[in-house]
Amino acid sequence: MQCLLTDLKPMERACVERIEGGGALRRRMMDMGIVPGVELEVIRRAPWGGPLQLRLKGYYLALRRGECAKIIVNTTNRPDLSSLVFC
Amino acid sequence: MLFLAGREAGRLVKTLKIALVGNPNVGKSTVFNTLTGSNQQVGNWTGKTVERKTGKVLRRDLQIELVDLPGTYSLTAYSQEEIITREFIMREKPDVVMAMVDASNIERNLYLILQILELTPRVVLGLNMMDLARSVGITIDVKKLASALKVPVVEIVATKGQGVEEFITEAIRVGQLESISTSPMVEYPEALEEKIAMMEELLAQTVWAKRYPLRWLALKRLEQDREIGQEWKIVEDSGKTSMDSCCDAGDAVKYEIQSSVELPGEALLQAFEAEGWGKEQFEMNIADAKYRYISRLLPQFMTYTDSGEPTWTERIDRWVLSPVWGYPILTGVLALVFWLSFVASAPLGDAVSQVMAWGGDAAVKLLQAVSAPEPLQSLFRDGIFAGVGAVLAFVPQIGIFFVLFSFLQDSGYLARGAFLGDRLMQLMGLHGKSFFSLVSSYGCNVPGIMATRTLEDSKDRLVTMLLNPLIPCVPRLGVMSAVVAAFFPGNWGAAVLLSLLLVSLVLLMLSSLVFRRIVRQKGRSAFVMELPLYHLPTLRNVFWPAWVKTRSFLKRAWTFILAASIVVWVLSSYPHGVPMADTWAGKMGDLLSFIGHPLGFDWRIMVAIVFGFTAKETTLSTLGILYGVTANASQSIAQAMTGSMTALGAYTFLAVYMLYIPCLATVVTMHKESGSLKWTAVGVVYNLLLSFVVGLIIYHGGRALGLR
Repeated sequence: MQCLLTDLKPMERACVERIEGGGALRRRMMDMGIVPGVELEVIRRAPWGGPLQLRLKGYYLALRRGECAKIIVNTTNRPDLSSLVFC
Repeated sequence: MLFLAGREAGRLVKTLKIALVGNPNVGKSTVFNTLTGSNQQVGNWTGKTVERKTGKVLRRDLQIELVDLPGTYSLTAYSQEEIITREFIMREKPDVVMAMVDASNIERNLYLILQILELTPRVVLGLNMMDLARSVGITIDVKKLASALKVPVVEIVATKGQGVEEFITEAIRVGQLESISTSPMVEYPEALEEKIAMMEELLAQTVWAKRYPLRWLALKRLEQDREIGQEWKIVEDSGKTSMDSCCDAGDAVKYEIQSSVELPGEALLQAFEAEGWGKEQFEMNIADAKYRYISRLLPQFMTYTDSGEPTWTERIDRWVLSPVWGYPILTGVLALVFWLSFVASAPLGDAVSQVMAWGGDAAVKLLQAVSAPEPLQSLFRDGIFAGVGAVLAFVPQIGIFFVLFSFLQDSGYLARGAFLGDRLMQLMGLHGKSFFSLVSSYGCNVPGIMATRTLEDSKDRLVTMLLNPLIPCVPRLGVMSAVVAAFFPGNWGAAVLLSLLLVSLVLLMLSSLVFRRIVRQKGRSAFVMELPLYHLPTLRNVFWPAWVKTRSFLKRAWTFILAASIVVWVLSSYPHGVPMADTWAGKMGDLLSFIGHPLGFDWRIMVAIVFGFTAKETTLSTLGILYGVTANASQSIAQAMTGSMTALGAYTFLAVYMLYIPCLATVVTMHKESGSLKWTAVGVVYNLLLSFVVGLIIYHGGRALGLR
């Protein structure tokens, strides 16, 4: 199911489908490993509209909701938490 | 690559240039410090506000120049750190690159390594933090990693110094190899490989192909990288080093752009563009292919077993980042930091004051023994020892603050603070990373402004820089608490100080919005921040940065503050023998009464405020001199003021004192870091106006309410 990364709840995982917009933000995300096909897990959301804590490629990343709203993801229901592979 | 540098002590000395690269937080500086010890030079990269660290290492007949390149996530030339790292490898062509990798985060770390390997095959990998990796269930087979990437890999535990010697030995071996086989090639998807091949064919005969690996050149051309094709000339610096304590000092090599050539292939690029392969498509596909390549390689050398047990980081984060407990914990941690650096450090500060008072007495006795003239004795006792002593009393506070700050930063907690504080920062239109800078400003505004270097967006950086002076630093808070204690005894004192801090926070938020307007910062830059795994910092990583910051404060004490103390003493002692109000200082205070009068300040306060510009810490000692209190104990100075000021007047003074103009060192740093006289002036004028207006509101508002 396709949705925005911001729509995910904690513990939910999804694959990056595409990133809207371009320029420095997309590049910065690319450097941090957010490219189409990569799997992400939302760990928690900071209260009052604060940033999201994500896990990808075995590390933690903080990303603002505004930025997360530019990432379109495909929700996955794969059970193994160890998967670090591409979807 | 290897050349002879000359004869030293009768034998040939060869030199080797080694670059140390890696992601931020991989323990690069720990390795650098272990290898170079005290034999290092810290400066800035030419034209950049990024620290440049080089060190000399001697191994047998080799003289090694080790350059610690800034921590970076990639080589795509979009942040200062990336540009520096890339330019260094491209232009200065180090003999070997020592690339450090965080084993607990190897997948993303290898992205940078692949980029480096495309640029140079002379790479040795240092695999750090294996213990941390093991604790989260990751095991890495070092041999298999080496064969997968076709580069030597050395396992190190940087914090314990283990494997560091093997790391450099391997680097020396690789650096001295005559030739080296090319390392693995990332396989790009077929559609991309075709285009790369076409571009390679076009570029193969150019001079550029002799200089850089052809494949890398083709990739960069497809990404339409502007740096390729620029011809740079090395300009040897005359070797002059600035005497400044904090910055500059030494990038010996400078570059000047000589010419910029458009590489061939423009027609081809346009043809690709027509097919839907523009700059961004290439960038994205190339990055994507690298990540895919890494995840294909991973199973060859890495196994991950989820024990089902939460890791330490997960357990701590469950509390620290919890929506319920996160903020109380953050408040508690910051409160503890302030308590330890202000309250708990008081005996140390008193001890310093006492030593200075004792030193002053001893100096006077010595002068009396040689029957020096009375004014000279007074200069030493009331000018130098009283003035500098009042300032040195802040050293323990600043030292403790920065030790705690380094601990929080290095352990990974400060990144959590930024995560929690980001919402607030966002309200102010700031970046989560501004949080680091603003918190460290409580210690001293100078390192706070320097910490803005981590901000990628130049306008964000400018706004944060302009905001920094509104944060009351340790010395300012020290002076304020002494005044508060004199005017508002007991529990009232804490409430008054807290109210002032709240005023500064509210003004900080409002000013942020104002500055965003002035700077014309419309967009919000991305907040993409790594949350590192928690780890216990080494003693060196905690104490060294704290010492560097405290030392620069001490240096200021001996220069600015000593000079200021002498000037204040002269102005308030001459013409000789007249009452205080008729001295030069008194006359200056009279001249300034047009500013002071609306705020209810007498001439002494105005003089103290003016002199406070050299260093805000001196305000207390200036007041001491002006009120004729020759003491070292800050309390009595403030008590001398109670006679001539009402509580409302004191509160006005406190607010104005907290907000007006940052000290000279801050202004100088602001100018250096912003590189602009205009923005420095904007910052200074803004502070002056703001403090005056706030002072007016408090004084007249208070009087209207019948307060005195």
